[in-house]
Amino acid sequence: MSEKKSPRPVKLNVIELPKTDYTGGPSSLCPGCGHDQISNVIIQACWENGIEPHRIAKMSGIGCSSKTPAYFLGQSHGFNTVHGRMPSVTTGANMINKDLVYLGVSGDGDSASIGIGQFIHAIRRNLNMVYIIENNGVYGLTKGQYSATVEKGSRKRKGTANEQPPIDMCKLAINLGCGFVARSFSGAKKQLTALLKAALSHKGMAVIDVISPCVTFANNDESYRSYGYVKDHEEELHGIDYIHHFEPIAEVDIPEGQFEDVKLFDGSTLRLETIDQTYDHKDPTAALAALHHAEIEKKHITGLLHHNTDMPTAAEDQGLVDIPLCDLSEDLMRPSKERHSQMMAKFRM
Amino acid sequence: MDAIVNDFTLNIATANGTGSQSANLILLHSMFEMGVPVSGKNLFPSNISGLPTWYIIRVSDAGYQAPGDRTHFQIVMNKDTWFKDVNGAEPGTIIIYNEDVKMPVERDDCLVFGMPMTKMARAISPKMAKMIANMYYVGALQHLLGIDQDALERAVNRQFKGKTSAVESNLKAIEEGRLYAEENIEWNQPYSLEEREKKEGQFLVDGNEAIALGSIYGGINMLSWYPITPSSSIAEGIIQWLPELRNTEEGDATCAVVQAEDELAAAGMVVGAGWAGGRGMTCTSGPGISLMSEFVGLAYFAEIPGVIWDVNRVGPSTGLPTRTQQGDLNLLREASHGDTDHIVLIPGTVEECFEFGWRAFDYAERFQTLIFGFSDLDLGMNNWLCSGFEYPDEPMDRGKVIRTKEQMDAVENYGRYRDVDGDGIPYRTLPGSGLDPILYRGTGHDEDGVYSEDPIVYRELMKRLKRKSDNAREILPAPILKEEKEQEVGIIYMGSMENTIQEIDDIMEETGIKVSQCRVRALPLHSEIEAFVERHEKVIVLEINRDGQLYGVLRKELPIHLVPKIISVAYSDGLPPRARFYAERILRSLEGAVE
Repeated sequence: MSEKKSPRPVKLNVIELPKTDYTGGPSSLCPGCGHDQISNVIIQACWENGIEPHRIAKMSGIGCSSKTPAYFLGQSHGFNTVHGRMPSVTTGANMINKDLVYLGVSGDGDSASIGIGQFIHAIRRNLNMVYIIENNGVYGLTKGQYSATVEKGSRKRKGTANEQPPIDMCKLAINLGCGFVARSFSGAKKQLTALLKAALSHKGMAVIDVISPCVTFANNDESYRSYGYVKDHEEELHGIDYIHHFEPIAEVDIPEGQFEDVKLFDGSTLRLETIDQTYDHKDPTAALAALHHAEIEKKHITGLLHHNTDMPTAAEDQGLVDIPLCDLSEDLMRPSKERHSQMMAKFRM
Repeated sequence: MDAIVNDFTLNIATANGTGSQSANLILLHSMFEMGVPVSGKNLFPSNISGLPTWYIIRVSDAGYQAPGDRTHFQIVMNKDTWFKDVNGAEPGTIIIYNEDVKMPVERDDCLVFGMPMTKMARAISPKMAKMIANMYYVGALQHLLGIDQDALERAVNRQFKGKTSAVESNLKAIEEGRLYAEENIEWNQPYSLEEREKKEGQFLVDGNEAIALGSIYGGINMLSWYPITPSSSIAEGIIQWLPELRNTEEGDATCAVVQAEDELAAAGMVVGAGWAGGRGMTCTSGPGISLMSEFVGLAYFAEIPGVIWDVNRVGPSTGLPTRTQQGDLNLLREASHGDTDHIVLIPGTVEECFEFGWRAFDYAERFQTLIFGFSDLDLGMNNWLCSGFEYPDEPMDRGKVIRTKEQMDAVENYGRYRDVDGDGIPYRTLPGSGLDPILYRGTGHDEDGVYSEDPIVYRELMKRLKRKSDNAREILPAPILKEEKEQEVGIIYMGSMENTIQEIDDIMEETGIKVSQCRVRALPLHSEIEAFVERHEKVIVLEINRDGQLYGVLRKELPIHLVPKIISVAYSDGLPPRARFYAERILRSLEGAVE
C-alpha cells in the first residue's frame, strides 16, 4: 500500500470540512464581475463560520445576481425563484423549516423595482434571513438598462446619464426598522467577509447592500458604481473584525475607546475599529444622516450602518412547536377522531 | 284556495349594515329548526353600509335550493330600492313593508301590509332601533306562516350566541311584530309552514367554512392569504378553528398563518412552503388568481406541491365582487404562460368542500404540483344543508419524498426530475436533509435539475409533465352520474349548479324529457365522462358563465367524433342559477339541435 502524501494538509473549518465542501459550479458571469467576488465571500464566510452546508438554504430571484447560487454552496438546497419574489418564497419556507439558515441573493433590479414590495414586507416581518443585494445599478441580463438604485448623474458605458434620484436600499431598510443593515463593496473582501459572517450570526433580517460593479455595462469612470469610482469615493465607517463565538477574543493593541464590540445573537462579536467616533450604529437617525450626506457628496459609505437585536422574528411571532413543521408527525397534522366528534357536535347543537 | 305548504319564496329587501342579516338568519334557522327544507341566498353589495341587499329564502319540501321562479313574500325595508321592489312584485305577492320609511305602496293587485317598524323598535331601544326594526318582519312572518315559538327562540339564541340583553330585546321585538300582525292583518292566504321531521345530524353551513375545516384536517402547515371577497372567510375560518383543532396539548401552533402583502406574495409563500416540505395553501378569487399565475407556472414547472382555492366571483376585472359565477375555469386550468394543465378540484356540496379541502393536500404532494380548488360565491358564502363531515379515515399521502439515506439508496439512478417509476412522478428530497441537494429553478432543467436549453431535454420534460397529469385522471374524484335508461339527453355540469340541477331535471321531466346527469368533479377529465357522452344521444354542458368554459374543455379533450353531440348552455348574470331560467335555455338548445 503506497501512501500518497499531499504537499499541504487540507485546511478544515471548525466542523472539520474543507472549503471545497462550500463551493459551487463554475460561474457563467462576465469575467471580472463583482458578483463572482461576492460568491467567493459567501463561500469563505459560510466555511469560516462552520455552518453545515446542508443547513443552508440559498434563495434568489431573477437576474445576474440571482444566477449565482449555482456558483456557491453546491451541497445546499436552493431556489432560484421568480423576479423580485425571493422574499415571499423564503417566508413560506421559513415558516415550514425555521431551523435552516436562509441566505438570499438578489440584485437591484430584483429588489428595488419589481420586488420592492416583498423586500419591504420581509423586513416588516423580520424574516430570519440574510438578504444580500448585489447592487450594480444596471439590469445586466437584459443588456444594461439603468436600475432604480443608480445615482442621479451616474452614467453607464453607453447612452445618457441617469436623471432619476436613486432608491437607497439601506435607507429604506433602516426606515423600516431592519435590525442589521450594512453596506459594502465587492472589492472589499475583508470588510464584506466580516459583515457577512456577522449577518449570519444575527437573528432576524440582515440586509447587506453590496456595491458590485458591472464590468460590461457600467465600469466606466462616469459610473458611480465602477471599480475606479468606488475605490476613490468609498468611506469606511470603521475598520471591522469578526470574532467567532468559538474563538477567544484576542487582546489587541487598539487603544481603549477606539473600538467597539458588537455582540451578535450567536455569541460572536463584530469589532468595529472606530474611525468616526461620533457614529452610533444603534441610532437609526445617525445612519440615515450619514447616508444622506454621502449621497450629497457623491460618496459611498460602507460598514455596519445600523444594528438592533431586540426583535422577534417572523417565525417566532407564530408561536410554533419546536420541531420544524416539515417534520411533524401525522397525529399533529390531523385532528383526532375524538376532536372531530366534538367539533361535529358543536355544529349540531 | 288550496293550501300551499312548505313551497314558497321570500325576498327581503334591506340595506346592508342595518342588521338585517341577523333577522334573515333567524328566519332561516327557525324554519330549519322546524325541519322544513329551506335555503337562503344573500345578494349583497360590495360595500360596508347603506347599499341594497336582498335575502332570498326558498322553502321547498321538494328540497329545491335555488331561488324560486317567483317571489311570494316581498319584504320592503329599503328606501333606495323601494319602487323596484314594490313595482317588481308579481300580482298576488304579499308585500310587508316598513311604514316609517314613508314611501308609497300602490299595488291593488297585491296584499299589502305596513307596520311602523322603526317607531316600535325605538320604544325598545332608541340606539338600536335601526337594527331591531328588522325583527318586526320576523314577527309578522311568524304569525302569517306559523313559525314555531321554540324553534324561533333557539334561532335567536344561536344568532346572538346566548347574549342575554340582545336575545331579550330581539325576542321582544319579534313578539310585538307578531301581535301587531295578529291584530292588523286579515290573513286569507294559502301559504303556511308545517313541521317536518328534522333529519338526524343535519345542520346549515357555508362552503367556505367547510373548506377551512377540510384544510385543517388535510394537515395545512402554512396559510398565506390576502383578503378578497368572497374567499376571506376560508382564511378566517381556518384561523378561528386552528387553536381548537390543531394546537398541541402545550398550546403550540402546528400551522403558520401569514397575511401577505398581496396575492403574489401569498402564492410565493405557498411555493416556499411546499419546497420546504410543508403543506401550504392560500385562498383567493379570480383577481387573485390573475396575480398568482406567475407562481403557479413556477410550481408547475419546478414541481412544487401547494394548494390554491379560488372562490369565483363575477369577472372580468373587478367585475361584480359580490355576485357568483363559474367564470374562472379556463384561468385555473391553464394558468400562467406556456403549456400548463393544472389539476382542478370542483366540489358541488358543502360535504365535498370539506372532503376536497383535505384531499387537495394529498393530491398536491402525490403529484408534486399545484392543486386548484374551485368553488364560487354561491356555494362558498351561502348556507347549505349539511349531513356532516366524514372523518378522513386514511393515512395522508405525502408523496415520493426521500427522507433518509436508506430510502435514497433504494432509488436507482436518482435525479430530482428523473421518472424512475415510469408514472411521470419523480422523487424529491427536502432542504435541510443533506440528501442530493439541487438548486430549484423556473428555467429549463435536465433530469438532475441542472440548467438546460437542450431541445430534447426540454421536450422530454414537457412530455413527462403531461404524462403526470394524464395519470391523475383516474385518481382524482370521479364524476357523479345519475342515468336514465332512455339515455337520450344528458347534462354535464359542475360545482354549485348541483344545488339547482334536481329542479331543472324535474322541469325537464314535466315536458317529457328524461335527462341523465353527470357532475364533473375534477380536471383533467375522468374517462367516465367520455363514456357518458358516448352513451347519450345529446349532451348539454351547463354552466354559469358566458362562453361555455367547461364545454371548451370537453371540446378540446373529447375524441372528435363525440364533439358534435355536446351542446353548450352557458349563462351568467351574477345571480345564483334559477332553475326555470336554465331549463328553458336547455329546451331551446335541444330544439335547435333537433333542427
